[in-house]
Amino acid sequence: MRPLIDLWVGAQAWAFETLVSPLLFALDLMEWYEPAFNAVEFVMLGLVQIAMIALVMRPIERRFGIEKAGIGRGEERLVGVDRVYTALNKLGVVPLLVFVVAYPITNEFEYLVRVLGFAPPRLERLIPGLYDSALASFLAYFVLYDFAAYWVHRAQHRFGWWWALHSLHHSQRRVTAWTDDRNHILDDVLVNLVLAVFAQFVGVQPDDFVLIVVVGRLVESFSHAGIDLCFGPLGARLLVAPRFHRLHHALADAQEPHIHDHNFAAVFPIWDVLFGTARFDTPPRPTGIDDREIDADNGRGWLGQQARVFRRFVVALAPPTDRHALPNREPTARS
Amino acid sequence: MNSAFIAALALVLGASTLARADQVIVLNSEEASYSVLSRSQRAEVQRLPLGREPHHLIQTPDGKEVLIASTVTNELVALDTKTGERKRTIPGIVDAYQLGFSPDGKWFVTASYRLDHVDIYRYDGTTFTLANRTFTGGMPSHLTFGTDSKTVFVSLQQSSRVVAFDLATQAIKWNMEVGKVPAGLVMLPDNKRLLVALTGEDAVVMLDPATGIMTGRLQTGRGAHNFWPKGDGRYWFLSNRVEGTISLIDTQEMKVDSTVRVPGGPDCMDITPDGKELWVTQRFLRRIAILDLATLKLTGSIPVGKSPHGVFILKTPVMPMRAAAND
Repeated sequence: MRPLIDLWVGAQAWAFETLVSPLLFALDLMEWYEPAFNAVEFVMLGLVQIAMIALVMRPIERRFGIEKAGIGRGEERLVGVDRVYTALNKLGVVPLLVFVVAYPITNEFEYLVRVLGFAPPRLERLIPGLYDSALASFLAYFVLYDFAAYWVHRAQHRFGWWWALHSLHHSQRRVTAWTDDRNHILDDVLVNLVLAVFAQFVGVQPDDFVLIVVVGRLVESFSHAGIDLCFGPLGARLLVAPRFHRLHHALADAQEPHIHDHNFAAVFPIWDVLFGTARFDTPPRPTGIDDREIDADNGRGWLGQQARVFRRFVVALAPPTDRHALPNREPTARS
Repeated sequence: MNSAFIAALALVLGASTLARADQVIVLNSEEASYSVLSRSQRAEVQRLPLGREPHHLIQTPDGKEVLIASTVTNELVALDTKTGERKRTIPGIVDAYQLGFSPDGKWFVTASYRLDHVDIYRYDGTTFTLANRTFTGGMPSHLTFGTDSKTVFVSLQQSSRVVAFDLATQAIKWNMEVGKVPAGLVMLPDNKRLLVALTGEDAVVMLDPATGIMTGRLQTGRGAHNFWPKGDGRYWFLSNRVEGTISLIDTQEMKVDSTVRVPGGPDCMDITPDGKELWVTQRFLRRIAILDLATLKLTGSIPVGKSPHGVFILKTPVMPMRAAAND
């Protein structure tokens, strides 16, 4: 294990000391020295994730994909924009923007609560044994974090203004392992802000936080893969599988107009089971959104989608706040 | 029979204590743990959980405890200096990133890097009583004291300033701009020269501690960061984080005597009790480097946890075996 760690941190230190550190020094940004070092690791982990998607998940999709027979040049173009989202996210462009916006807010939050005397609790003190096992401790914080992510996701579907942003994620007709990062930047900022504050509040370690995000995002990428895979009756309830999450992206119809208000969990389906939003019984269905305005996101590039969704967001800021009461909710030709 | 039994017992106890005195404590700041290393084995022998983001540690004035500051949990964790065993936890010490005792042992000061304040505590040998909290802004990072225990100097990394507090009144004596990203500070034994390492530059500046006015400048290495005394009052080690070197500074001549390459963002240091080795945390490599002071060459690098920051070498205790033998 240690040789692997040495290889990893050696590459990280080399990249940082050769490329980043001299730049920070020259630009008088040395107060960001430590965060920048961690950012290098984040980008390296992003490269690993991209490699996992491209070299492992996509070949599985091509071999076992539900929709492989029907894919044409037009549909490939739909998938292409998701690759742009993935690259921007995994290689640090979007996270940097999120950091610039979120950091002062999370910092202020931490400042306020800690000056008031609040210190983040430690699960290790509440649960005997966690202190003795790094893995158990990591999993405990992972479960907590995923619990928060579940409720954030429900909020994305519940509030009209947030749905206006999140609907971009659902507008993809061709859901693949690249789709996980297809989000509006403002949506990314909001989600990450809430989860970062939550993580601070419950005392997630910075090191654990990075690992939780990376492992979580890998699971989420795989759960978007266009394959009909589940992990058995028990496994399907322990870890989100592609079949489970595909239902969340299912195209609604008259019989089930709210089908994607199910299976919200990112990693652990237990939250859907506990809070009554789990569906395990549905066979594979087409994916997409039954709204002509939202469906029109397809076929546009990254910038075009960002602009369209921002306009949708501004319109949605006005009442009513329930997404189901949004105007222009017309059925698409596909539904 | 009785004395033989006592001698045997002392031998066992002595061996155990000596083994612990062989230990080095390293704080793994980004994984909530500290590593216990064996100097003789040159290896990590244990990794123990500790609070959240432990960065720095210091010995109490009576030498009995090592206090580790767990910044995010607002507490100090005290280890026995001789055995390395955890003795107590002191709550309510808020965001103690950097910490220090005045030379007379009556004042305890912490720099709160994230929460932007400097706390001055009265210390009676056991308890810490907050005398004053000053919100300075600018990320307070390192601190040092006047040799007369009347003043504490704190560097503010973000605002490029150093601020001096009168300990008796806790009032600010001066607050001066000194250069980019000031970090480590050291007061020289004459109490008339205050050195400040500039991490945003490649230099150390000298200040008049009475006024904060700059009186000198010495070019060292890029990312000049932290000091550690060689022990003779004249020579000081300085870590240059960006350049990846350690400079040995002659403060009498005010020149760099020698420079050694230590890769991986070298930061905090400590010297072995025999004065033969300098141990340096390599923040980026998750290792601690060992520098032979006779040859000024790296002789080892021991793997530890993530972002190792503070380091403390437990000191050799009195040997019980010798006491028994003398009887």
